[in-house]
Amino acid sequence: MSSKPKIKELLVESACEHNKDKKKSCNAPTPGATTGGCALDGAQIALFPFADAAHLIHGPMSCIGGAWETRLTPTSWSGRDLTQTGFATDITNNDVVFGGERKLAAAIDHIVSNYAPEAVFVYSTCVPALTGDDIDAVCKHRTEKHGIPCVPVHAPGFVGAKNLGSRIAGEAVLQHLIGTKEPEHTTPFDINLIGEHNNTGELWRYRHLLEELGIRVLSTFSGDGRIAEIRTAHRARLNVIVCAKSLVSMTRKMQERYGIPWISCSFYGMTDTSAGLLAIAEALGNADLIERTRALIAREEARLKAQLIPYREVFAGKKAVLNTGGNKAWSIASALQDLGIEVVATSVRKSTEEDKAKARQYLGETAILMTNPATQQAKVIDETGAHLLLAGGRSLYTAIKKRIAFTDVNQEKKKSYGGYDGLLVLAEDLKNSLQNPVFELVDRKAPWQK
Amino acid sequence: MAEVKRKSGKPLQVNPHKLSQPMGATMAFLGVDRCMPLMHGAQGCASFAKVMFTRHFCEPIALQTTAVNDVIAVLDGGDYSIVESIKNIHGKLTPELIGLHTTGLTETKGDDIRGIAGKIDVPLVYVNTPDFKGGLESGWTLTTQALIDQLTEPGDRIDAQKMVLVPHVSLLPIEVEKLRELIESFGFTVVAVPDLSSSLDNHLGEKQASLSSGGVTVAELRQLADAAFVVTVGGSVKPVGATLQAKNPAIRHRHFNHVSGLEGTDALVAWLLEVSGREAPPAAVERWRKRLQDAMLDSHFSIGQTRFLLAAEPDHLAAMAASLREVGGQITLAIATVDSPILAEIDADQVIVGDLEDAENMSESYDLIIGNYHTESLAHRVGKKAVMRGIPNYEEVGSALKNDVLYEGSAYFLFEIANAAERMREAQVHHAREQIKRQGSGVRRAPD
Repeated sequence: MSSKPKIKELLVESACEHNKDKKKSCNAPTPGATTGGCALDGAQIALFPFADAAHLIHGPMSCIGGAWETRLTPTSWSGRDLTQTGFATDITNNDVVFGGERKLAAAIDHIVSNYAPEAVFVYSTCVPALTGDDIDAVCKHRTEKHGIPCVPVHAPGFVGAKNLGSRIAGEAVLQHLIGTKEPEHTTPFDINLIGEHNNTGELWRYRHLLEELGIRVLSTFSGDGRIAEIRTAHRARLNVIVCAKSLVSMTRKMQERYGIPWISCSFYGMTDTSAGLLAIAEALGNADLIERTRALIAREEARLKAQLIPYREVFAGKKAVLNTGGNKAWSIASALQDLGIEVVATSVRKSTEEDKAKARQYLGETAILMTNPATQQAKVIDETGAHLLLAGGRSLYTAIKKRIAFTDVNQEKKKSYGGYDGLLVLAEDLKNSLQNPVFELVDRKAPWQK
Repeated sequence: MAEVKRKSGKPLQVNPHKLSQPMGATMAFLGVDRCMPLMHGAQGCASFAKVMFTRHFCEPIALQTTAVNDVIAVLDGGDYSIVESIKNIHGKLTPELIGLHTTGLTETKGDDIRGIAGKIDVPLVYVNTPDFKGGLESGWTLTTQALIDQLTEPGDRIDAQKMVLVPHVSLLPIEVEKLRELIESFGFTVVAVPDLSSSLDNHLGEKQASLSSGGVTVAELRQLADAAFVVTVGGSVKPVGATLQAKNPAIRHRHFNHVSGLEGTDALVAWLLEVSGREAPPAAVERWRKRLQDAMLDSHFSIGQTRFLLAAEPDHLAAMAASLREVGGQITLAIATVDSPILAEIDADQVIVGDLEDAENMSESYDLIIGNYHTESLAHRVGKKAVMRGIPNYEEVGSALKNDVLYEGSAYFLFEIANAAERMREAQVHHAREQIKRQGSGVRRAPD
């Protein structure tokens, strides 16, 4: 039987808020007016953090050339970091004409004998999907030959966007890894972190707190993840989705198959981190644990608030406009509010209905929810008297024109703003932005301009 | 010259530095003013390229996709997705040119983009660039040829002072500008095709760019056939000379494999003196030659004792190797992204077409690495130092303004490399001394 997931099923997720109003699919791309990555991109993002597994792209260089070694998802795995090692079959004309299955099998052999991975993820791409390479058969055969899981990931770019690729990755792990191994022991407080990629080490901002409470992270999908651990994920008591709606299908299926309930949390900013920890404790349903969690939250918040005192003055009365996508529309807003910054507007252009509702709830009735930030944000800055624009690089010019401070919200791709301690990093970066003269200075008139 | 190993014999690339043919096409279209490069493939084909170039150049990158999905991949011959894309682009913007380039996906399904292009009534240039063939250099060259072939109007008149400059893909924006300025200083007018020097040169534009903001204009491309000369720089773009000559056989073609180092720049300047009929170059050129001579002497001691790994596109390899060889640098290993005839002309102990796994397996043979961003982690793993050159370079800002060519840039290049080599050796010496200290104190402490 083919391991190809049914795309239709993945697109229409019953546990997805917006599918209640009978929307057919999450996104059909518009030719000539589409941004964002493809399903392969999404699958890579979801799985690459498994540093003890090799990630072999069965495709040409476009599918890996710009993408390998770009994900800052650190690992504590002591072996070679395979997240940062690029593998591609580099399909040539010959493989298109005669098929690439033998080359793929030989590539897996090369990887297994030179890099000793715990598993090999084999990503299909558009070209072999069209020419019809039987990746399932190659993977099955190589799994038997090498005694490690070779997992086919059927995410050729043409099936859809990143979000779908992330689901396909979840599906592959569900089908080929989860439930294939028993843990050495279990505890009543075993959880899986789903969708936590440990970007810039965000997981490490709060994992120690969970451990302090006696909550064991049985496995992660996939930040600082281990193949041996994800194979035991079916024995967890709770699935915690971290800021990743796209993996709802995976947790819903785990609930159906293994009876594992799931909750969704964010660990961005103080308020959400506290709420997340408490939600986990409450879902595990132990009174003593809940009590200890409350105490830990109180301790951490007090410590953080003391450390934030020097920043209070800098941020007092400051207003920010936020232009970013998805759940960041509210999760970053929450972090800014923790710092005492008023968020006067946020972008909901790419947000789901649920994210929009949340943004409204976090920002209050008077805040502006921008549906077309590219054209709106300059006007919004004027109207609100904002002091700070947090957005992607393309919006830099708006900030310069308006002579207000700018912070590239994608900086978080390099530094972690997550958990309690990440808020201090965010505070320092925002302070530096607000106090930097460059935004005021750079667009001054040249000596020859009138 | 070394023997060239043109085939890796491996079934895969591990830690590749090779980039794809459509990426080269995108870059070339970004060197045309007010162009919208349109990649005909799945949305990810364009997205991967766009993310890479945005991070590399630290600039917004104009690039759209025909967003081929599963249904279109099966049912459409390209007509729907291309026509629809152009309609949608023109709904918001008024590009001077659409730069349509294909990918492995659309070449495998066999779309007839030439036929479709014929039915489209907005300015458009199309080029077939499947990613299962060639690489960055060939994508750039094929696109440059397509621009000329499809836009340039044939002619028989010649403007004796006009030159068309065709740079290879690895020449950086500022290097193209310096080349143009040098040629112009001999009294010529120069049109660079493509021209990244005014589009991706890290300038603060008037507004956020949705189209390419700078580069050769479509009007200039139409009028190329009255040039007296076409000057190609880099083995990969040599065929572009004939493409332009097909528009006007009176155009003369002069080719240079590179314009790096003393000999490389001398060759260009000698030719410019000849064709301009001048006795001497401008004073600044003479001055920079003297500075380069001095730089060669100042840097030879450091570079002359250094064994290099160069990992780059073939033309870039040839240029860097030439500069380093002039001051005794030992190119013990040169790894090219793809095969090219120019590899046979590189003065190195070993020249291979390969990946950074090959580099790692041969780490005994070199001290200092020059290559793209991915050689940084290679350097960490094998305990060497790397100097960043080539695409992508994610870690450093300002790479569009690095100048390694002609007398001036070659001097900067030699200084940078010599300094990096010295710092590397100092670190090694420091490390060795620390080892001795530790052993020494261990010995002394032992009797206690």
